[in-house]
Amino acid sequence: MRKILYNFLFVEIVKALKLVFSHYFVKEVTLQYPHEKTALPNTQRGALCLLRYEESQEERCVGCDLCGAACPSACITVVSEVDEKDGYVVRRYASSFDIDITKCVFCGFCVEACPVNALAMTKMYEYSTINKRDLIFDKTKLYDIGEKLHREAKGYLVAHNQEGEDEEVVSQYRYRFPSSRQEEPEQEEKK
Amino acid sequence: MSSVGKQSAAPDAVKKMVELTIDGQVVTAEEGSSLFNAVKWTGTQLPAMCYHYSFSPFGSCGLCLVEVEGKKHNVRACTAKVTEGMVVSTGTDKIVEARKGAVEKHLKTHPLDCPVCDKDGQCELQDMAYDLEVYDIKEGKRKQIPEDTRSLVLDFNMERCILCGQCINICKEVQLVDALCFYKKDKQKHVGAHGGETLYCEFCGDCLAVCPVGAIVSKFSKYTFKPWQLKKTETTCSFCSDGCSITLETNARDIMVVTSELSYESKWGFDVEPGEGHGGICVRGRFGFQYVMSDARLSKPLVKTEGQFVEAPWFKTLIDIGKRLNDIKATHGGQAIAGLISGRCTNESVYLFQRLMRSILETNNIDTAARYGHMNSVLALRETVNIGGATVDEKQLALSDAILMIGSNLTETNPITALRVKASMSEFAGKLLVADDTETKIMKLATHPLQIAPHSEGDLIQGLVKAVIAKGLTDPDFIEKQSEAYAALKEAVARISETRVSEKTGLEWEKIEEAAILLAQSKRGVLLWGEDIVSEKGAYQNVRRLIDLALLTGLFRKEGAGILPVCEENNEQGAVDMGAVPEFLPGQVSYAAEDARRQFANAWHASLPESTGGSPGLSLSEIIEAAHRGEIKALYLVGENPLGTLPASMKVREALEKIDFIVCQDPFMSETAEIADVILPAATFAEKEGTYTNIMGAVNRVTEAFDPRGEARPDWKILTDLSKHLGHPVQYHSVEEIRREISQMVPGYYAQDKVHETSDLPENFAEDIPERYAAPAQDTRKNTMTLSLQQVLYHSGKLTTRDKGLMKIYDKAVLHISEADAEALGNLQTGDSVNIKSPLGQLEVQIEITPELPKGLVHYPVHFNDPPVKDLLATEIDAKSKVIYFKTGAVTLEPSASLDLRVITPEDAAEDTMEDAGKNAAKNLSAEDAA
Repeated sequence: MRKILYNFLFVEIVKALKLVFSHYFVKEVTLQYPHEKTALPNTQRGALCLLRYEESQEERCVGCDLCGAACPSACITVVSEVDEKDGYVVRRYASSFDIDITKCVFCGFCVEACPVNALAMTKMYEYSTINKRDLIFDKTKLYDIGEKLHREAKGYLVAHNQEGEDEEVVSQYRYRFPSSRQEEPEQEEKK
Repeated sequence: MSSVGKQSAAPDAVKKMVELTIDGQVVTAEEGSSLFNAVKWTGTQLPAMCYHYSFSPFGSCGLCLVEVEGKKHNVRACTAKVTEGMVVSTGTDKIVEARKGAVEKHLKTHPLDCPVCDKDGQCELQDMAYDLEVYDIKEGKRKQIPEDTRSLVLDFNMERCILCGQCINICKEVQLVDALCFYKKDKQKHVGAHGGETLYCEFCGDCLAVCPVGAIVSKFSKYTFKPWQLKKTETTCSFCSDGCSITLETNARDIMVVTSELSYESKWGFDVEPGEGHGGICVRGRFGFQYVMSDARLSKPLVKTEGQFVEAPWFKTLIDIGKRLNDIKATHGGQAIAGLISGRCTNESVYLFQRLMRSILETNNIDTAARYGHMNSVLALRETVNIGGATVDEKQLALSDAILMIGSNLTETNPITALRVKASMSEFAGKLLVADDTETKIMKLATHPLQIAPHSEGDLIQGLVKAVIAKGLTDPDFIEKQSEAYAALKEAVARISETRVSEKTGLEWEKIEEAAILLAQSKRGVLLWGEDIVSEKGAYQNVRRLIDLALLTGLFRKEGAGILPVCEENNEQGAVDMGAVPEFLPGQVSYAAEDARRQFANAWHASLPESTGGSPGLSLSEIIEAAHRGEIKALYLVGENPLGTLPASMKVREALEKIDFIVCQDPFMSETAEIADVILPAATFAEKEGTYTNIMGAVNRVTEAFDPRGEARPDWKILTDLSKHLGHPVQYHSVEEIRREISQMVPGYYAQDKVHETSDLPENFAEDIPERYAAPAQDTRKNTMTLSLQQVLYHSGKLTTRDKGLMKIYDKAVLHISEADAEALGNLQTGDSVNIKSPLGQLEVQIEITPELPKGLVHYPVHFNDPPVKDLLATEIDAKSKVIYFKTGAVTLEPSASLDLRVITPEDAAEDTMEDAGKNAAKNLSAEDAA
């Protein structure tokens, strides 16, 4: 009897409709990508970038290749060079810096290894392309990303406790070559 | 095995042993030896940064602390001496804390610039901090010392220095050079040359290798690499005949840095036996690597078309060469073809080359660089005791108790063998007797320096032979077995007058006698001779006399004793062993021997040219003479450059111009290559596989580090390919296959420990003794200077003059002159010019005053051709060994006219450029002289 009534009154349908219509009043979870995007946390491991010092716009990277040594998928290639002035080395930098982003596993070891905090990760994750070569990020591209997404990169480093917010803390990571700091008159004599 | 201390004791000296307790374990150790070593042998490795087994402990780093019962403070194990009943504990908490404190103390003043430091990744301070878990450094304070970049090669970064003193100690105790020291400046301790001067030393770079941090760095590779980026290839150095093992550290295409065992092997000396080397290398090996990457390297085959070199593809070039050579063989016979191969090619290339020349081109006119001197030693030894080279190895040399070194500037020519000689003296209390006309570096260190007059080596050896016989110290074994030869020798030397010998050599007879006694009474004596013996007039006879001396003193018989003839290029010995001379087939088998020739002919499926008359084939000088007569139609050169090596008086250019077809296979454009018809680019040592044989007969492996530059190919590959186009392909697909064939044809050649068994003397040994000891003709040279071409430490042959780095260290094409001569010429100073004159011409050359030289002798580096001083020398060819002598000659010096400030007219300028052009200068001038 009860069963007949149950069938007659379309209770199941009503139940289903109730569920459906109740969703009109629930906050939606699906994001309409690419029109909408999630807010990512600062610790997000996205595309890598290279940073410059804020005050002088000098490249932070000294080309030490520790990132390359730390990389588990061997996707970083660094070639370093030095700038000389009056026979003294004043700067060491990476003359070429390539990250093969197709190989990258986004582990973030390179950022952790970097002694001068030149590398950071951003929240950028959209870099699909029709040319595979574009996925080998060279030095220019990495600095471009760093410039464009500087806040994200900085946020990553702060979130990972690698850097403080203010520049003073940053400057203690800087390395200055011994000879570039002082111009002793004696040095001339020695030569 | 024992710990190597620096007590300077003979290896067989008896040592007193004592007992002590280390961590509850009772051990015995030598009394007075370092506690560090005693702990080491229990299996506990104490951390240390300033310790190295090859020199005495210094005790500066403060890491090897241990607790000794009864001592209030911690003790540094390295400097502590072992005493009876000592109770030592090594791992207590107190000790670990103290070690941590020591590392922290170093880190406080360390700049922590690891990201840019070259030592990053290999740094001992990094390792110590990591191992001992020192992570917090309180209040760091940098030393603020600017980098010292004054020296040509080494940069001293005193901020990084931990003042461990290893660089100073290795320089002082192993190299015996003592170039480095601590000095104080601005209240800071520095490391550098004495008195804070600019460092200019032998630049062996051992200080660089032992530096635990990045305080000493090489200018040539500074900031260019990180250790984990580089591929390591163990290979053999390509410069001198020491054949040191070196490690090339390369990226894809370039050598970034050259290191040796010293940089990597355990500094504790676990596996080191007494007498073994410390694994260091010299300036050439360590810093002379840039020539491999030189832009001047040939990259494509060049074919001369209408007087111009045009690049051509390999395949076509090889076909053309094959065709031309086959044509010449068909029309003029094999005798019209000759080949020269350098002493720098691998054994496998030399073997293949002589096989190609003999079996395919049917000529025995082949020769090698050994013909500039080393053939004297080889032939004399073959003829008498039937061996082909040295009879001692490195270890025996170091453990020797008396070394007599004649006519060899070993520290310059063979620096690492010289280290073994130095070790014999400084470590094992051996006697070192050095006879030379110049006061060389090794003579200054020698226990018995014997500075003789120029050209008196022969007299000295005669005197030594006489002294041995006169003193009755002749080896009884020799008297018994060779009574006839002994009698002949005794009779011959009786005629030698003692006063005449001392007059000629300028040495008192007592000194000669003392030297003879030391050598004759030695247990493990070594007789060593070098370029001043083998490359100067009368060399063959002098080597024969030296062999007499070795026989009389029993050097061939005694265990650990022996002889060591030194040659120049890295594989000269190997080239002779592999048969690149007309006299020998591979394995130094006489070419004249019918059955041996047949054996090789069968193996090569070919017939070999007959050995007619006395000479089986033409040697270098005979090839040039034959070319003058127009008898040589084709010449194949592998790395040889006779035009650049031989003086103008040989008229090499005229001879070569008469040859129809010259093929030159070389990594670089050489003087000879310029007049060749085809140039083939060859690979350098870093780009090929193979082996080199060093002076002691050890065969060392050469390994390929990267592919050859451009289209260059290794020699063996070129020769294999060429054989196809000569119509007789040799089927080698790798060096390994050639090596296998060599070990079949020359059994035991690659064996690690070769035995040098001497055979009995030939029957006719006594025959020419009277001639050998006849009083030499009166010297007619009067009032003239002797010019001698000498090797310089920083260079090896002409090859290193292509190297940017070594040229930066030494590019002085200057005439070295004694103080007395410079004064006699009118108070000349270093940097002034003189006119150097010989019957063959005259040249203007800068001088440098060298106090080590005696009056009447001037030296010029053999490596440099500008100005072409070698062209002033006359040549003489040894009747027996056919060696070409052009090392010394009589010249006169006069102050250069250009000292007066003259106005340079355009004509003068034109003349100057002509002189710069080099080759023709001497000739032109001699023509002028004649006019």
